[in-house]
Amino acid sequence: MTPPAATVAEPLQVPLIPPSEHRWADVIHRLEAGGSMLPDTPENLKQIIGIYKAYAVPMDFYWRDLLYIAEKVFLNPLPAFKYFPSQAYLDRPNSYAGEQSQLRIWRGGEKAHPELLEFMAKGETRAMPKLLHHLWHDRINMEFAEACMQAMLWHQGMGGRFNDYLESEAYRANADRAIKAFFRGNPVMLGLYKLFPEMFMEQVKQMSYYANLGLFWEVMAPVFFEMSDIYDEGGFKGVPDAMDFLVNGIFAVAGRPIYHHVYVGEECIEVIPKTEGFTWLYEAALPYVEAVFYRTAPFRGTKSYNAQAYQVPDNQADFHYGILYADVFPVGSAGIPPTLLMQDMLHFLPPYLEEIYLQYKRGEEDQLIQLGITFQRSMYNVTSAVIQALRCALLYPLDDTDPEHLLANRQFFEAQMDRFVRPEARLGDVQTQDYR
Amino acid sequence: MATIIETAKAAGCFSTLLTAVEVAGLTAALESPGPFTVFAPVDDAFAALPPGTVQTLVDNPPQLARILKFHVLAGEHRKAELVDQAEWASLEGAPVAIRRAEPLEVKNATVLTADVVCDNGVVHVINRVILPG
Repeated sequence: MTPPAATVAEPLQVPLIPPSEHRWADVIHRLEAGGSMLPDTPENLKQIIGIYKAYAVPMDFYWRDLLYIAEKVFLNPLPAFKYFPSQAYLDRPNSYAGEQSQLRIWRGGEKAHPELLEFMAKGETRAMPKLLHHLWHDRINMEFAEACMQAMLWHQGMGGRFNDYLESEAYRANADRAIKAFFRGNPVMLGLYKLFPEMFMEQVKQMSYYANLGLFWEVMAPVFFEMSDIYDEGGFKGVPDAMDFLVNGIFAVAGRPIYHHVYVGEECIEVIPKTEGFTWLYEAALPYVEAVFYRTAPFRGTKSYNAQAYQVPDNQADFHYGILYADVFPVGSAGIPPTLLMQDMLHFLPPYLEEIYLQYKRGEEDQLIQLGITFQRSMYNVTSAVIQALRCALLYPLDDTDPEHLLANRQFFEAQMDRFVRPEARLGDVQTQDYR
Repeated sequence: MATIIETAKAAGCFSTLLTAVEVAGLTAALESPGPFTVFAPVDDAFAALPPGTVQTLVDNPPQLARILKFHVLAGEHRKAELVDQAEWASLEGAPVAIRRAEPLEVKNATVLTADVVCDNGVVHVINRVILPG
């Protein structure tokens, strides 16, 4: 007699490699199964997509203004109006949105996002001239974008060839042309350039990082807008789906050129030409993740450190002040970069995210903290996408049947998780929904 | 014998690679005396990349050339020689790692056919596009 189906023994699937014994073994096994560092729960999905949307709107301003500063404001010695991008930059077609784009990531329009334009006109207060909005600080906090740029500039050698190029003779010659063209007919600035050439070079390098970050975020804004639209249409089934969208996006734009052009009148000076072959993945995305998600630097005024007691690492690579390690509560002090971003995102929260915040902790009173922690969750997901994309590019498929390949993947995942063993890491916190 | 480009054309499974080489302006270089060692990904290797990846590179020839140069070594290095050294400098500048001798693995790609000898070098056919890093 045939036994009932339910009692038939399942064939035992012997794992090809033994389980990990790493402290974050559970997370590693989840990554090996195609998941994210962030657990796959409906609320996590809702939180991360909601914050991607709230992040994308100010990011649409950041990238436009970063490129405006790098290309037009350039070495203006009194850049009082650098946070007022020209109309041309607000209308500048996003290379990855709109019908004109060769690779359309967001199905929306190519110009500045309507919610951004509305906020720029009205702010939190009311409609008034943009100079008054600026002075009242009722505006997008570009200082956050500049802080990210400065983290990339300061940490420098984080893979890719961008920073090496900034030290090359070719770059110095291009920068020299740009400086001389920009200050043509200005004997005072040209005289200062002769006296202090290295100071001017250093400023041009900083401008090149403005361009780098602007070109990086020009991609991320439409990616996040599209993710929000897909979620609103019911398209993502879980956190891994959202991560996979990011992984595919990373590959799709990996070869995008990273360059720095300066415009003096009608003249275009290629400080970093596209022909140098710099790419979005190697020269912008990976250095950005390293500098901003992991490293950055301690924020002034939030905590005292004793450097002699090695409370601040003597090796820059060991810096751990990025969003993946941040204690969002003390960090949420006025005027420091993460708080500036939280304030920017607060203006564009989708209603479903506001509803969540009203239900927990102090409701509206501590929304900035709650959304900061949501942002932390979402960046653990973005970092997971970067880790999976690197695994995909440099290692082996998750369903590979060669144990040596699986062990190589395992070693890679464990090495990545080693960075979250230190006590400041928030990986453990984001595993539960209670962390708010 | 034929050059590397002629050999690839005759094989019939490198149409994406040949298009990429053409767009990147590397055809003439690979027709030159060299010699070169080329790790040539088959069409399926390019097709396995997420949508848009190849298109973005084809739209940007200098960036495409950089990725292609990572698949080329200066000099003619056959399998027996490749396995004696853990890393080889690519024309892109980044090192190409030899991870396993049998079957021969170059970074995360497996060599499907090794030692296709040409006039101006040698081709090793691989099953994946390899990337620096």
